[in-house]
Amino acid sequence: MTELSTPTRTHGLTRPALPREAIAARITDRFPEVEATEAYDELTLHVDPAQLVAVLTFCRDDEELDTALLSDLSGVHWPAGDHVIERQASTTGWPEYRVSREQGVIEVLYILRSLTRNHWFRVSVATPDEAPRLPSVTGVFATANYHEREVYDFFGVEFEGHPDLTRILMPDDWIGHPHRKDYPLGGVDIPYKNDKFIPPPEERDLREVID
Amino acid sequence: MAIDPRTDASLSDDALELFVEGADWESVVDAVEDDTITINMGPQHPSTHGVLRLVLDLDGETVTKLTPIVGYLHTGIEKNAEVRTWVQGTTFFTRMDYLAPLFNETAFCLGVEKLLGIEVPERAQAVRVILMEFNRIASHLVWLATGGMELGSTTMMVFGFREREHVLDLFESQSGLRMNHAYIRPGGLAQDVTEDFVERCEALLELLPRKIAEYEDLLKRNPIWNDRLRGIGPLDAETATRYGVTGPLLRAAGVPFDLRKAQPYSGYEQYEFDIPTEAAADSYARFLLRIEEMRQSMRIIRQALDSLPGGPVMVADKHIAWPSQQSLGVDGIGNDPEYIRHIMGESMEALINHFKLTTQGFTVPAGQVYVPVESPRGELGYAITSTGTNKPYRVHVREPSFVNLQAADVMSRGQMVADVVVVVASLDPVMGGVDR
Repeated sequence: MTELSTPTRTHGLTRPALPREAIAARITDRFPEVEATEAYDELTLHVDPAQLVAVLTFCRDDEELDTALLSDLSGVHWPAGDHVIERQASTTGWPEYRVSREQGVIEVLYILRSLTRNHWFRVSVATPDEAPRLPSVTGVFATANYHEREVYDFFGVEFEGHPDLTRILMPDDWIGHPHRKDYPLGGVDIPYKNDKFIPPPEERDLREVID
Repeated sequence: MAIDPRTDASLSDDALELFVEGADWESVVDAVEDDTITINMGPQHPSTHGVLRLVLDLDGETVTKLTPIVGYLHTGIEKNAEVRTWVQGTTFFTRMDYLAPLFNETAFCLGVEKLLGIEVPERAQAVRVILMEFNRIASHLVWLATGGMELGSTTMMVFGFREREHVLDLFESQSGLRMNHAYIRPGGLAQDVTEDFVERCEALLELLPRKIAEYEDLLKRNPIWNDRLRGIGPLDAETATRYGVTGPLLRAAGVPFDLRKAQPYSGYEQYEFDIPTEAAADSYARFLLRIEEMRQSMRIIRQALDSLPGGPVMVADKHIAWPSQQSLGVDGIGNDPEYIRHIMGESMEALINHFKLTTQGFTVPAGQVYVPVESPRGELGYAITSTGTNKPYRVHVREPSFVNLQAADVMSRGQMVADVVVVVASLDPVMGGVDR
């Protein structure tokens, strides 16, 4: 486990929650490049990967925000091409918004929660899906360890500085990252299908068959 | 060069001299610089709470490092949900944390309902709360039972599972299934509760407090239980927060954080209950806390039953509401004959609506939401991404068991090997939830 830079604070819910606008203002004052959006009464901060560790450290250590808990860390794959997505304002009906992306990205979402102020918000970073690479936040929140391993396992995101970036849920010798949208869902060659002779286990090379 | 005394002719009987005192033992010991040994526990071990593998680094009998290895039960539920309709999602997610199926269903449905912008009828909300709280009791009973068994108290194991079965009987009477109910659906419930629902709940509320008092009597002053639990697996509030640990473990460290109070959902704000906390932050504190949580759950159920509103249990919007009406026949729960007659014999439009909703499902507006609920193990969050189609684009589940398991390392360091069992038991990980 990597050493944590500074200790976090924990108390009961002693102070009122900050309004979403105040949270956004607090962070954008410090980091003007951060873009804040709101949908479904949820605040999302879009952060550049280069600033990620700085923003999360600020959110954790700031007296006003005090987000000591990293609740969740998850990935979403948005491949290049045409997509149905809407992420700005809240919708009321059943419209579809088509967005075309030139470059596919893997979006990683961090849910930050305060245990003293009862507010939470989301931090979103995007990394190109061809060579996904993000700084690890295990030095800021120790809990990110398993989450980042999961995102690496499912999406192939390389978290730089992670103490032990290995697969966590899939088998160690698994090929590919199954939650990517370009991962084949069936229709793939099945090893030794219709073969008259199946080699004994020690002579099999599954990598060759699948490639 | 090795000499085989049986065949080597140069070794006569007088030449063969054997030394049995092991004179080189000291030099062997001195040559070993690091006397840490690494042993493997699991993945099939009676006290690892399911298919969990632990790799222990030991210095003598003291644990210096614990590495949990997970993934043996990975079923790809999150991926599977991407190719199913929103309603089918409940059937999948209920199978993740199989000891808290109703929490999974509710959290997912709350997420879908948030995206749809709909409010579930009050009766459905109250029934959800009642069933969830009974589910919390059932889950804590299993924790008590398995935890007791792992520490050698088979009596507790039998008692815990016996009372849990009564709770599961209630679930079975309402949903037809003991576990994995898929009873809570986006928009409400699969069907209304039966006529004897309140009566059954009352019977349980009469039985359970007596039984829980019995467990307390059995364990609280039991010297073995005390010796094995007190001071074992300490996890203070600050470390717990760093490792993202929530639920009973965080509350046993003195942090009164409970999502039912912090961000009320399903009408929890109407009910009066306390968030029990403990200061000791050890395994014994977690035992006391879970016992108290069961009592608080019953307090909530009592109030919800007393104020159980009437009315529908599914939203009125026919674009969303599951079309089929269910009724209890002689051979179990199935389609209501009256409804079948209506769609098959009377209304072509009703049949089309039924067909479209059951095959294609409804579409959900695009967006991303994160909806957490307080499960028996902590914050159970659903991060749902929709692109405006009839299927989720991505559903990620923040599983409390998965996150809490990371703390097993810091909790066991410096403890004895036998205490690892207590540490894992007090964490209460459900491997179906960890591996998903």
